[in-house]
Amino acid sequence: MRWIWIDKFIEFNSGSNAVAIKNVTMAEEHLHDNFPGFPIMPECLMIESMAQTAGILVGHARDFKEKVILAKISKAVFFNFVRPGDTLKIHAKIESIAPEAASTTGKITCGDEIIAEIDLMFSHIDQNLAGKQFPQENFVFTDLFAVVLRASGIEAPAWGVSK
Amino acid sequence: MAMTRDEIFKEVQGVLVDALGVDDDEVTPDATLMGDLGAESIDFLDIVFRMEKAFGIKIPREELFPAESLVSNKEFISNGKLTHQGIEELRKRMPHTDFTEFVDDPAVSKIGDLFTVDALVNFVEGKINA
Amino acid sequence: MKFILIDKIVKIEAGKEIQTIKNVSLSEEYLGDHFPIFPVLPGVFLLQGLVESACWLVRHSENFAHSMVLLTQAKNVKYKSFAAPGMNIQYTVTAKSIEENLSSFSGVGSCDGQAIVEARFSLRHFNLAERDHKLAIEDGHIVEKLKERYRLLASGLIGA
Repeated sequence: MRWIWIDKFIEFNSGSNAVAIKNVTMAEEHLHDNFPGFPIMPECLMIESMAQTAGILVGHARDFKEKVILAKISKAVFFNFVRPGDTLKIHAKIESIAPEAASTTGKITCGDEIIAEIDLMFSHIDQNLAGKQFPQENFVFTDLFAVVLRASGIEAPAWGVSK
Repeated sequence: MAMTRDEIFKEVQGVLVDALGVDDDEVTPDATLMGDLGAESIDFLDIVFRMEKAFGIKIPREELFPAESLVSNKEFISNGKLTHQGIEELRKRMPHTDFTEFVDDPAVSKIGDLFTVDALVNFVEGKINA
Repeated sequence: MKFILIDKIVKIEAGKEIQTIKNVSLSEEYLGDHFPIFPVLPGVFLLQGLVESACWLVRHSENFAHSMVLLTQAKNVKYKSFAAPGMNIQYTVTAKSIEENLSSFSGVGSCDGQAIVEARFSLRHFNLAERDHKLAIEDGHIVEKLKERYRLLASGLIGA
């Protein structure tokens, strides 16, 4: 499994909002533990799909200079579950953005149905965790994200940290 | 947009309930953000963002929480306590705060206690009714 | 990768509290992407560890009455520190209330006394047959498999 929980951006307004999609498929091994005989996408991975959509939006707004990390889930509410064959639309919007942090709101839909509402806070860790040392390179934005951005026709820096 | 102190308090209360997940009745005027309401570094940023939206004002983080840059300055700190200069500097940066109890034991570890709900309300009052 | 984010139940008190542990190891494949040169357990998997712990507390307390026990709401989930390979995380989840179809909890994950994650969250519990009676077979299958999983996770407990 690769740690990428969005497939493509279908809308991207830098500094403001974005919409990404995620296909849920039987081919995803982890679904078969959750649950055996009735696979559904785990709620925590829906949160991660929002974190990646919103995180890229926040990163892009500041030219990916910062290491943008999920610091707080202000609120995540789920109204239904989703199954293989479903396509999720992840809508994210930047509410506030500052050198040290950003806050976003958003919702996940499937067809006409709202599946979840998720509000997050990101920390720009070089500016924040006083005393902690991090590697220089921006390891947060990997080559996987570059693939998603380029496939969506959005310019991406030449990432990432070589494996 | 002039607001009464009561209106400001209600709004600040709402912000703290949302940002910290505490109940309405826990947000009393002398409740400390860190000690009583459990606020941490990321929460302070959350509070700043929400207050900016709620009151339509811009709040540079340094203005609301100026202690951070102060404590790294050797002129202001000695043996884990603020020097006389340090206290005066902090007073200047936080005119909305009550220092009466703090001066008795100006330990760095106690700076957090200065951030009370009341101090936040004073700060907003100063900003919007200026 | 197996989608199981706790390794062992170390203590369980029906209706009240559960304590579990999770080992973090570099062999967990997603750490290769999260992040390259700085592997740490994804924040959502720390939340999942708390959620799974709470789910077992519900299942055990209601004697596996429902196949589906899902996260319905999480609030003020804060990440205080990183969980790196080699660390053992201890999760403690306390029930605020457990009713027939809804339960609420507060939970903390820490390592050697240092807090890593804290959260407040609610779960909802139901059977698929309530939506579609044909899915009663799936309910039965899920419960059977999860009872096996519980036996494995709780095998260290006395009188599990």
